[in-house]
Amino acid sequence: MNYIKKLLKNDNIGYVFVLPALIYMAVFVGYPILSNIVLSLQDVTVRTINSPAKPFIGLNNYVELFQDGVLRTSIVNTFTFTVLCIIFQFTIGFALALVFNNKFSFAKPVRGLIMMPWMIPITITALMYKFMFSSNVGIINFILKSLHIIQQPVDWLTQPGTAMAALIITNVWIGIPFNMILISTGLTTIPDDIYESASIDGANRIQKFFRITVPMLKSTIASVLILGFIYTFKVFDLVYVMTNGGPVNSTQTLSTYSYKMSFDLFKYSQGATIANILFVILFIVSLLYLKIFFAEEGTK
Amino acid sequence: MNAAEKTMKRNNIIFNILSIIILAVMFFPLYWTFVTSLKYEQEIFRVPPTFFPSRINTASYLAQLKSGDFNMFRAFGNSAIISICSMLIAVLLSVPASYAIARFRFKGKKFCVLIFLITQMLPVSVLLTPMFIIFRNMSLLNSYFSPILADATIGIPFSVLILKDYFASVPKELDDASRIDGCNYFSSFLRVFTPIAFPGVIVCAVFSFLYAWGDLAYGMTFIQLQPMRPITAGIFNFMGQYGTKWSYLTAFAVVTIIPVTLIFIFMQKYIISGLTKGAVKG
Repeated sequence: MNYIKKLLKNDNIGYVFVLPALIYMAVFVGYPILSNIVLSLQDVTVRTINSPAKPFIGLNNYVELFQDGVLRTSIVNTFTFTVLCIIFQFTIGFALALVFNNKFSFAKPVRGLIMMPWMIPITITALMYKFMFSSNVGIINFILKSLHIIQQPVDWLTQPGTAMAALIITNVWIGIPFNMILISTGLTTIPDDIYESASIDGANRIQKFFRITVPMLKSTIASVLILGFIYTFKVFDLVYVMTNGGPVNSTQTLSTYSYKMSFDLFKYSQGATIANILFVILFIVSLLYLKIFFAEEGTK
Repeated sequence: MNAAEKTMKRNNIIFNILSIIILAVMFFPLYWTFVTSLKYEQEIFRVPPTFFPSRINTASYLAQLKSGDFNMFRAFGNSAIISICSMLIAVLLSVPASYAIARFRFKGKKFCVLIFLITQMLPVSVLLTPMFIIFRNMSLLNSYFSPILADATIGIPFSVLILKDYFASVPKELDDASRIDGCNYFSSFLRVFTPIAFPGVIVCAVFSFLYAWGDLAYGMTFIQLQPMRPITAGIFNFMGQYGTKWSYLTAFAVVTIIPVTLIFIFMQKYIISGLTKGAVKG
């Protein structure tokens, strides 16, 4: 009894509060990650899933997948998708943040409303854009035709290049609010008098932007880009609903390919292997983010 | 009126107009979905398209009340059950955890933060296959439990990381005062800290709910029985079967967005603070 009292008196009582959440994460995240690794070294398919002894095949899944062209295509696609999305959503988000950083009556309410697209379930966003991109009833083809940019309706989602473009456009729409709000918050931390004294020294708008705004926002920009990379790289719902990786794997990403292996072809081990490759790439990028995160924690 | 005031007024008008244009562009897909859901099927195919339905058609909504090919309201209920339960798990576990991280010095604290940071960045697709096999072995497939348990793993790390800052902002003196008044750690946690950190708790609840509400992968993989599937998975199924029945599909979209819109209208303040503090996207 005394021992328990003593244990609960000092800071060790923290364990009592933190353990339930940690145990939960260990059971439902830690254990799956480990079993994913084991799974990728075995040969588990729909035929072997019920048998007690699962054949251990070492790194065979990895070797086999890297020889197969679809994995390489998926890696290239995932990077292309991520990089292009980030370029557009970051640039547009940054521009919008600069607009809403000015003082005008609608600034706050409109900036708040723009967050809405970000909250919509991605399945629904994918549905809306699938409708807008559809070749016969899609509003996008109609607008492009009225502007004489295209002559014939484009089959956006059934041609390799345009399918990827459609996915990127949709994801940029989701990503703009996220980039805008984080950069907006960063902008408010820059004191006004820096700009004022720069004006007195005769700096113009462009000089102020590159000499003051960008350097002052360095850590915000870094974390927006890295987080953006992580969240865009793991894209699943959007691709799955809009194109399901097609046509002929031209929009296949690591997430959708892994899903296809596990749940369309029932090759669970191969699905787990692809998921592990995705995990390793993201883990490396996450380490970069953690470095920034803990550097910021330290300055607090 | 002097020159400076005049430019300020002019700038105000220019920026207001600009912001309305930006808003209109960003909201167009939502508007377009909404008006399409109120059109008759022939009007959807009309060229040039109409920007407002010439005749309002509510059949797309009403048909679902009579349990059509896909009972939207049942699916809506499934989603509500799954999202609320997973939100409760996330909040109940993350509130005490973040209190501990913010308030106590114990061994391995930094490691805890690290674990939550890493798990927060994990993609759903990494966990999907192993979770499927684990839930299969536990006979939890085709029950609400599997998506509830899985969705909470998204909400917990986010909530812990957000809330620890809220708890850390509570002054230490309050802690000491409550202890002198005879509170032990548990009652001071419940009576002093949690009420002060309440806005943070709401942020966590809102985000945990939204993550689960928007989930497609877990819901459609773990639940194969159509009547038990959440609304996102139900809509996806319907798209596969009736890919071009846009009046129905857009109506489903509108119904799914309704709770999101309500949360957005009433909780906007919390959502924006959560986003900027947590810098998290699901």
